Amino acid sequence: MDIDDILADVSTAAEPQESRDLQQLTRAWVAERVAPEVLPWPAGLMDRIEGRIRRQIELVEEQTGNMDPKANFRLIVIQTELERFKFLVRSFLRARIAKIDKYAQHYLSLAAQQPTLLAPTELQYLQAHIALLSRHYSTSFLSAFPPSLQRLDDTAGGISMVDGPDLDTVVFCRVLRDVGTVRVEGTDVEMNMRRGDVWVVRWGSIRNAVVERGDIELI
Amino acid sequence: MALPLPPGLTPPEVAFLCEMELVTVIPRQRLESLELLGGPTAALFPPHRSNIPLWLALLLKRQRRANISPPPWLTPTSLSAILEFEIEHSKEAFSPPPRLAPSAGSNNTSPPFLLSATSDAPPEALPYHWLELGEILLEAAPDDFEEPDQVRRLMRDLREVRTAKLRAGVAVLDAGGGVKMNGVGGMEVAEGRAFIGGVIDGLRKIGASREQARREREAEERDNGYAGTAEDDEDEMDL
Repeated sequence: MDIDDILADVSTAAEPQESRDLQQLTRAWVAERVAPEVLPWPAGLMDRIEGRIRRQIELVEEQTGNMDPKANFRLIVIQTELERFKFLVRSFLRARIAKIDKYAQHYLSLAAQQPTLLAPTELQYLQAHIALLSRHYSTSFLSAFPPSLQRLDDTAGGISMVDGPDLDTVVFCRVLRDVGTVRVEGTDVEMNMRRGDVWVVRWGSIRNAVVERGDIELI
Repeated sequence: MALPLPPGLTPPEVAFLCEMELVTVIPRQRLESLELLGGPTAALFPPHRSNIPLWLALLLKRQRRANISPPPWLTPTSLSAILEFEIEHSKEAFSPPPRLAPSAGSNNTSPPFLLSATSDAPPEALPYHWLELGEILLEAAPDDFEEPDQVRRLMRDLREVRTAKLRAGVAVLDAGGGVKMNGVGGMEVAEGRAFIGGVIDGLRKIGASREQARREREAEERDNGYAGTAEDDEDEMDL
């Protein structure tokens, strides 16, 4: 660690938690909008942000009666920002629900293995979604089939009928910390990923660097 | 309820991101610091300059409570220098992005939080949100520019040169991906994503069986030859 690193550390530590949360939420939103699969639920971050939004709404409600023009303008600014935050959170959640809807069976089995993947409410939603869907299928036509053909998650013949997202879809990403050489399996592609680079690359080959280490962000 | 949009940010969403960039304003009225959800804003005392998010600056500008000072790269001198570089010296790649501050373990700030649109931003490079930021400022605050028409013309030229590069770059795409695009802008990513992604994914699906065969062969070789790396199968980063 040299002096620049120490200075940089101090400057990020001096940044208020609110600003860091905004940066994290923005990054999570972009990643969720871009990545082909649902990313782990950022529980701590979302709890803090939801709490803050709730308090800010209470503040706006308390102050709406205030007729002082100066306070009024302050309120306009606060409300504008509130709407921006609500948009971010809503778009983030909706992007996740879109993926959960599309590959419901896949995420149901995945959520059982990775409890932190979905938020409790998302899991509830997913279970209700699947229950509705399978009841609908069985009342409308599945019950007329022989019992051996009634399953919705059959893996007979080595082929699973549960569809999952295509993890090799290409994404645009930005390298936040030097990663080194990344090889795309099955091809001749080798990339030397350095901080600040922008790459077009298969999601599967950078997934761990994005999700677990945070060395790369999606754009 | 679920979002009906395909993966990737749409242009309005990129513009929304861009509105988080900090810009420098010259306030005309006092406004004390506000405790916003994203942290406190800078207090405004005329005639001292302050850095505030673009969305707030636009609000103040519309109500004539402040003027926005355009970033140093958004001037005719800088833009023409960058344009010349794009045409003469870098015929295939984009001009390089602004230099990053020295790195540190935890310091991984990225656009739109990089301070690339304030009045002390570097003048010699286009930041990530250059196109959106330029367009928004020219639209909302043309009177804060010295030569808005000149800037507008240079922005259009830059955009044309860079779009041509983006199109020419399609020739190098192949199934494995791995295309380096340093210096690309946010709006350019949004524009090119569907096409570039579509081409690479399409090529991958065409060559999928060959790739699968090779993957199996490589796995086999690893099993036979170097048992040590076999368990790192999933984690390609360390190879």
